[in-house]
Amino acid sequence: MRCLSRRDALYTASCGFGYLALAGLSTQNGLAATPGPNPLASRPSHFPARAKRVIFLFMQGGPSHHETFDYKPELIRLDGQQAAGSYPGARSKEKLLGPRFGFAPRGESGLMISELFPHVAEHADDLCLLNGMHTDNPAHPQATIMLHTGSVNFVRPSMGAWITYGLGTLSENLPGFVTINPATNVGGAQNYGSAFLPATYQGSRVGLGRDALRDIRNSEMARRDQRRQLDLVQSLNRSLLERVEGNPELEGVIESYELAFRMQFAAPEVMDISREPDSVRRRYGLDRKATEGFGTQCLMARRLAEAGVRFVQVTHRGWDQHNNLTNKLAENCAQTDQPIAGLLSDLKERGLLEDTLVLWGGEFGRSPDGQGPDGRRHNNRGYSMWMAGGGVRGGMSYGATDPLGGVAVEDKMHTHDLHATILHLLGIDHTKLTYRYAGRDFRLTDVYGEVARRVLG
Amino acid sequence: MISGAGGSEVPRGWSGPRLSAWFSTGLRHIECIPMIQRRFACLKRCGWAVSCWLGAVVLGGVGLGGAETAEDIAYFEKHIRPLFAEHCYQCHSTEAESLKGGLLLDSREGWEKGGESGEAVVPGEPEESLLLRAVTYGDPDLQMPPKYQLPEDAVAKLKRWIAIGAPDPREGAAAIAELRYDPEAARAFWAFIPPGSTEVPAVQDRAWARDPLDQYILSALEARSLRPVGDADRVKLLRRVTFDLTGLPPSPEEIARFAGDPRNDDEALAAVAGRLLASEQFGERWGRHWLDVVRFAESMGRTRNIPFPFAWRYRDYVIDAFNQDKPFDRFLVEQVAGDLLAASSPLERREALVATGLLALGSLDLNEGNREQFLMDRVDEQIDTVTRSFTALTVSCARCHDHKFDPVPTEDYYAMAGIFRSTELLGGYRSRRGGNGRDYFDPSLLVSLPGGETAPEGATEMLQDLDERRKEIEQQLQRTRTRQQRLNRMIQASSREVERPARAASAAGRPARVGSAQRAANPRAELRDLRQKQRELQIEAEDLRTRQAALLGDVAMGVREAGKMENCRVNIRGEVNNRGEEIPRGFLTLIGPSGAPEISKGTSGRLELAQWLASPQHPLTARVMVNRIWQHLFGSGLVQTVDNFGETGSRPTHPELLDHLALRFIEERWSVKAMVRAMVLSRTYRLDSAHDPAAYAADPGNVLRWRMAPRRLEAEAIRDALLMAGGELDLRRPEGSPVNRMGEREINRIGGPVEEASDRPVRSVYLPILRDHLPHMLEIFDFAHPSQVTGQRDVTTVSTQALYFMNNPFVVERARAVAAATAGLRDSAGARVSGIYLRVLGREPGEEDLGQALDFLRNGEKSGGDPWAPFVQALFASAEFRYLQ
Repeated sequence: MRCLSRRDALYTASCGFGYLALAGLSTQNGLAATPGPNPLASRPSHFPARAKRVIFLFMQGGPSHHETFDYKPELIRLDGQQAAGSYPGARSKEKLLGPRFGFAPRGESGLMISELFPHVAEHADDLCLLNGMHTDNPAHPQATIMLHTGSVNFVRPSMGAWITYGLGTLSENLPGFVTINPATNVGGAQNYGSAFLPATYQGSRVGLGRDALRDIRNSEMARRDQRRQLDLVQSLNRSLLERVEGNPELEGVIESYELAFRMQFAAPEVMDISREPDSVRRRYGLDRKATEGFGTQCLMARRLAEAGVRFVQVTHRGWDQHNNLTNKLAENCAQTDQPIAGLLSDLKERGLLEDTLVLWGGEFGRSPDGQGPDGRRHNNRGYSMWMAGGGVRGGMSYGATDPLGGVAVEDKMHTHDLHATILHLLGIDHTKLTYRYAGRDFRLTDVYGEVARRVLG
Repeated sequence: MISGAGGSEVPRGWSGPRLSAWFSTGLRHIECIPMIQRRFACLKRCGWAVSCWLGAVVLGGVGLGGAETAEDIAYFEKHIRPLFAEHCYQCHSTEAESLKGGLLLDSREGWEKGGESGEAVVPGEPEESLLLRAVTYGDPDLQMPPKYQLPEDAVAKLKRWIAIGAPDPREGAAAIAELRYDPEAARAFWAFIPPGSTEVPAVQDRAWARDPLDQYILSALEARSLRPVGDADRVKLLRRVTFDLTGLPPSPEEIARFAGDPRNDDEALAAVAGRLLASEQFGERWGRHWLDVVRFAESMGRTRNIPFPFAWRYRDYVIDAFNQDKPFDRFLVEQVAGDLLAASSPLERREALVATGLLALGSLDLNEGNREQFLMDRVDEQIDTVTRSFTALTVSCARCHDHKFDPVPTEDYYAMAGIFRSTELLGGYRSRRGGNGRDYFDPSLLVSLPGGETAPEGATEMLQDLDERRKEIEQQLQRTRTRQQRLNRMIQASSREVERPARAASAAGRPARVGSAQRAANPRAELRDLRQKQRELQIEAEDLRTRQAALLGDVAMGVREAGKMENCRVNIRGEVNNRGEEIPRGFLTLIGPSGAPEISKGTSGRLELAQWLASPQHPLTARVMVNRIWQHLFGSGLVQTVDNFGETGSRPTHPELLDHLALRFIEERWSVKAMVRAMVLSRTYRLDSAHDPAAYAADPGNVLRWRMAPRRLEAEAIRDALLMAGGELDLRRPEGSPVNRMGEREINRIGGPVEEASDRPVRSVYLPILRDHLPHMLEIFDFAHPSQVTGQRDVTTVSTQALYFMNNPFVVERARAVAAATAGLRDSAGARVSGIYLRVLGREPGEEDLGQALDFLRNGEKSGGDPWAPFVQALFASAEFRYLQ
């Protein structure tokens, strides 16, 4: 007859004095219980993880794979030919548009990478190109929401929220999921939301600069005075706890103040890149106007990841080249190439790349046929992303599109497969990371998803 | 072992060569082995009769598909079976880990029956066969295998196989386990049995109970040899009941009055409850609970987050309904079908129309370019909201398949879908692909309200201006239309005799004029210009209409009957282009009162649906609502999963009490206030939050209600209490909503009107609720997710909440206000500390509290600042401030 709610489970499981019972949560997500001070406490994975954390470099708008990471000699050859019938889904009236930029083999692996990414190309042997990506929807908002939450038709928790729910954070002083400067349209907060998962797991949105986190600073009081004030608060809390025994939530309040107090100093420090040495700043391109903006975000991402944040997302907007492809794409790549390469080499030098999964890509790619003389349409049926570090095999290309780069045909990787693979790298079985809501168990991958085992290093 | 098993059970009549082919191909593919084993196991079970029959069929050469020669069968065995096994069985066999698309390819019957998309193979007709379509990758929506395309020769073999009549010797039933329900079992589930009256249980301690509900609680405790803890003291009780009924703290005067009331607890509490129930703040508190349930918001969210300028009308309607104590059955019917109710006055009509806003407030994907998909998603959203909020059933699960847990066949879902399909949405928006924010607004799709209010101040002149402009536009439009007709005629004429009009014009020695001129130099160009002008005028006219409507405020979101009433066809797997059987409009067949009203022709059936839901015979409606009320007063529901009374939901902790309350609710004309009053005046409600080791050991979750468990206040109550403490809260209801003044644009910038409005000293229920841009404060304190039915909010304890109290300027300001408001109590520091305690925590400080406070204040003064505001802030930050005991 008894059917315990999560809340009851929390009470029951905590032995009088425990705290927000992780047992309650962990029985749901299938991960072992680790009684800890808060729901963000680090938890062990289902099986040994290759990656401990994720940095997602989201290129919003649908970057063209034809000019970046999907080399197609056939498309060069057929430049200007009628597209009709050349690949499934070709528009009859359009002409094929050969890649606007050249490719060359890079690294020992000889991975073909475009001249637009000279710095990233230096890391060719660490890259695992995902050339057979495909997704359900060719419109920006839907595809973006799909990429971030695995669902378009329903409001669902974001990938970062699921991961934080599954694994907690690695830092005692920081939240588990941070998104830097996210896009406010195309789904907005839904892309880093927690939906029905507890609100703790939603992404903390940060801007740029020292005051990037809400309420993180107190402009009224000196640290010593604030500590004194907090001592009063905590003393009141403890006396309440004595009066009302058997209330683990109250203990949670006490803990939350201590974490908040520490966060006030830890978080701005992590976000403050001003004291990074010039060599590091140059590496991320902070010394040049073109790369300064995105470089700052990448550097902040590295600092956050290093400090223990489980999932960091960085967003670069403006990859939607319906026209002016040549110039705009070159500009985007110029803004991001150096910072991304800087991030990869910095992570590597710090020994972080081996257990940090770096993911690059947009919500879809672009058509092999042109839209006008210098543009490309959306293409959700075949595009590219890449992974690096975090236990993926470097110097390889996984999956392929047809000879013109139109449609994924080999080792196709759907968004659900991408999610399953990311979770797998983190040591999570995507079919077992579940949350019970409205009477059924939900997953990031719904009822889909297959791990791309060949990308595992 | 395998061959052994086979060898002993080879049915008579199987010819040698065929059998060996069967094995050699079968054994090459590991997937086949279990199948073989099972097949023989089956034969073993069924015995000789079946085997003989099978043998006879094959031997006789009749075959199931007609004349299948040994040669044909051999072709299948040699080419097709291995191909199926290698490329298809992983997803399309009885051994598949999860069967995809309901299609089995490991038996003849499997493909004959086909999957969810229909028959897979039409023997003899390769072009008609879905299977071939899938493997040729010609159709982007149907490509199999999904990961790669079959080699050309494999496709050619399949084609040939189908062409020769798809010979296939594999017998056996395709084992698609169809989920059907046993009506008897369905009706036996506790929640689907109508509530029955029970005798109020006897208890040992007869003096304890105040209300029959107490006897149910006490008898369950006594059965476990437990005792409830004592009553809460009056000060605690007043704070509890004031927050619970109004969402606000009691004032120091109210505390003094109640503490000093010479009457006994029963009478004193009844007087307080009466006062609170009669206050306007009751509806603001309880209306908000309902707004959580119906995922109220003032913007669309998701792909195109446009504001809902008139959603506030629904919000105010809900608040008023709770204040008027509108019977809940009436409340329900109005929200589902208010537009179809007869009204005795324009005011009543207005209310009923606004009520249907419930159906228009959902979060939809406005970017959905496929009209049918948008329509069915909208219908789904409506079904989900209506069934979960009123009956705590997850009917939406049956959109793609029969409900896996509750007896809701997918046909029932589409019966209901027909009702909402026949209902037109009037939300003021439309879906489309692309375009900028304002393209998604459509003010013509709103409900215009009768009875009219007087225009707000200053609006009259503006309205007149708009009206004049509108008339001008109409005239201009009329002129363009006349001219257009004329031009069209000219073009028709000139297509017969091309040059004439222009020549005629030049012959007359004057240039062709545009406008009222009879002739035009270039009628096509002029027509183009005119069309352009017409579009501009139409857009301006539309804008004017919205601006007028907004000025008048005489529109609301809602629904009306669609122009065409239509039944819905089943969407197989929930896919809108995959249509099955047409289902007549109706309700659930296995849950709910039988003898549901007939849906008359020419109506959507919404009114009948509403009446069916609001029926006293409905097993869920009353139970679900009393359970919601109980939860808000006692911290958790008698059924803990308040939005899910189905199989996967929890079972009631006190089933008889739940039924007792449900029946009482119906008897007392569905009065929410009467139910709230009864619960608040019960003895159970008065229990202290004190700890009791014995009771805790036996029932740590307080399932039996041996005490009142402490509860965290909701975000709104915390914010309102912050404002109330310094006497800053303005209790008047603000006019409309700031969202009303945002204009036609997409919301993609954080801050702006939301942040500005959040600082206004109005009750939090009136803050703008934009999806994805909730006021910061509400969001961090677990505000209900405004896109989803949320009967029960989360309670999280996270450091962002701590940071809010420590650093947020709003809190700092409120602390200053309290310090200023108590600055007059300077006689002694102790008096001022007491004054602050009463305002912030609703109680006097104890001795220890006072000592601590004075220490803090002394030290603060020493370090040079005014310590009073920081002291108040510390009390705000304490757990006690945000918990009800």
